[in-house]
Amino acid sequence: MLNWTLALPEIVLGVSGLFILLGGVIPKKESFFPVSMAVIGALILAAVLVLGQGEGTAFLGQYVADNFSRFAKVLILLGAALGLLLALDFNEKAGLGRFEYPVLMLFATLGMMVMVSANDLMSLYIGLELLSLSLYVIAAFDRDNPRSAEAGLKYFVLGALASGLLLYGASLVYGFAGTTNFDRLADALSGDDVGTGVVVGLVFVLAGLAFKVSAVPFHMWTPDVYEGAPTPVTAFFATAPKVAAIALLMHVLIGPFGDLSAQWMQVIWVCSAGSMILGAFAAIGQRNIKRLMAYSSIGHVGYALMGLAVANDTGYRGVLVYMAIYVVMNLGTFAVLIAMRRRGRALEQVEDLAGLGKTDPAMALWMAVFMFSMAGIPPLAGFFGKLYVFLAAVQGGFWTLAVIGIVTSVIASYYYLRIVKVMYFDAAPDGALDARPASLTVVMASTGLLTLLFFLFPAALIGAAQVAVASLAG
Amino acid sequence: MPAMGMTTAMGDTTEMMAVGLGHYLTVSAILLTLGVLGIFLNRKNVIVILMSVELILLSVTLNLVAFSATLGDLTGQVFAMLILTVAAAEAAIGLAIVVIYFRNRGTIEVEEISTLKG
Amino acid sequence: MTQQMLAEYFPILVFLGIAAAIASAMVGGAMLVARQKPNPEKLSAYECGFEPFDDTRRRFDVRFYLVAILFIIFDLEVAFLFPWAVALGEIGWFGFLSMMGFLGVLTVGFVYEWRKGALDWE
Repeated sequence: MLNWTLALPEIVLGVSGLFILLGGVIPKKESFFPVSMAVIGALILAAVLVLGQGEGTAFLGQYVADNFSRFAKVLILLGAALGLLLALDFNEKAGLGRFEYPVLMLFATLGMMVMVSANDLMSLYIGLELLSLSLYVIAAFDRDNPRSAEAGLKYFVLGALASGLLLYGASLVYGFAGTTNFDRLADALSGDDVGTGVVVGLVFVLAGLAFKVSAVPFHMWTPDVYEGAPTPVTAFFATAPKVAAIALLMHVLIGPFGDLSAQWMQVIWVCSAGSMILGAFAAIGQRNIKRLMAYSSIGHVGYALMGLAVANDTGYRGVLVYMAIYVVMNLGTFAVLIAMRRRGRALEQVEDLAGLGKTDPAMALWMAVFMFSMAGIPPLAGFFGKLYVFLAAVQGGFWTLAVIGIVTSVIASYYYLRIVKVMYFDAAPDGALDARPASLTVVMASTGLLTLLFFLFPAALIGAAQVAVASLAG
Repeated sequence: MPAMGMTTAMGDTTEMMAVGLGHYLTVSAILLTLGVLGIFLNRKNVIVILMSVELILLSVTLNLVAFSATLGDLTGQVFAMLILTVAAAEAAIGLAIVVIYFRNRGTIEVEEISTLKG
Repeated sequence: MTQQMLAEYFPILVFLGIAAAIASAMVGGAMLVARQKPNPEKLSAYECGFEPFDDTRRRFDVRFYLVAILFIIFDLEVAFLFPWAVALGEIGWFGFLSMMGFLGVLTVGFVYEWRKGALDWE
């Protein structure tokens, strides 16, 4: 059954991407701004289509559309659109105002959408590679800057290795289970007697995906790439692709490998605990704020994986809620980081925020909201994100993991609060930051309000996550 | 090394075939190991890393084709074809990034890639 | 089983043996039979040739690299055309239009590299 209309959001996004590419390259003069606007329009159009999307499988079982993929896709499209908004002003000032940037972001987003809708190892691979290839290029986008080139190179080498491991695992799974389709894999692997070959394949697939979400044994690329890439690129890396990778991990583990949960739970347990611990300790000594955010994002992935390690519906719901809140907080934080610019020069050190409380009280307030939220202080959104995964862990009897989570979030709050302290209690070294463009203010204020007022209307998000999880497990 | 164990296990069942699935899996596992080692032990040149990546993808392709022949199922070969073409795109992007890096730093030695650390 | 497998490779062994025998016969025969009169002139560039003015291992122009990168992509995507062409009778209009879509995507890439000047040598 083809049912190609089910994939309408992806088809529309892909075709408009091709036309935008042509529209960008055919005129002689540089067209960064109009192309960016067109891409944001295409992303919003795709989001509308996703909301109106039907349910079912398409393309002979390669593609599935359900409430879970809808939840993840809306989050991804939102993250990508806001991420592009963050880049508009920065790229113009940094000389990166080339129209390829928004087009690459569009194709990366298309890859993410294919990824979360993949119902076969082949479509999974195609989506993942479309995402990864776009991200390799975008990491090295500031091509005259050695640090950006190095970030691109490191990301490429380790990313290609991870894809290779994932593929090797996929080939073993195919060979020993006899199919690549997720539904048929779930049937083939439902008995008690599952061969070693499939389990080894599963471990390889897990390793590849753990790399993409930057969970602990495979995190080593994250700090370097986050630091070296241009800041809007880092903002993009830390948000939409992370949601897509976590959603893909959930889809793969709960769908085809659902009956092997006894095997993968231990692996996810170790990844989760390791990520939380590393995220808490390694960020303490960081002076470069992008590097700090890299370790912070490793820690956050650890908290999200905690919900997956529990392997029940409450845990999965916790993961989705956590990722939604994480994306919002991170977009806001990066809006502040991108606005850090003094006399035309972009700044990246924690000390550069000193005195922000006096020179720019509005931005300092938003930054404080994001930092308190990341530290998990009630009643901000970040607290609820942590609450739902911790609750799931405690109810599931994962006491050790929950205790590790609580201890590490206390330790992690040290470096989040240090940023607040620098902003409000340290003297400004040399004058105020440059005036920030309106686009950043919009992102800061909207994500800030969401973070601040989440406790008034948590039911909407939690209800949506509940529905999404129900379609995944059922 | 799971595939090593396969050699004997499959050897009995596929007595008729001279080169059995186990042999292919062993070769593929060796290729994968060589590729991974090539990435981590290589201290000289980034191009060697690109070649190691290709080696890993090649091992996967071999695996898929061998499984496809054994299972009598075409999916593996379709998958192998997709990997071939995506690998080409990946190699092209990898080379482009290496060229950018070389323009900036004037070297592609692995030991020199250390501006970012901490 | 090992016996049988090795037997299948026997022609290759024979082939290798013959190749080695012929090659060594040529080189060895020349060394044994031919008259040897070494002279430095014999090693110099021949008649209308000229002395090499540069190292043969000099770097390639980086533009070859670009052409090679573009070639890899467009060359390998053609791999999809072969199975498509063979199966065209069975897959019908849907198969035909799918490939047209694929080629359309490739064409967009081609237009992009053309407009970017990647195909101009100067």
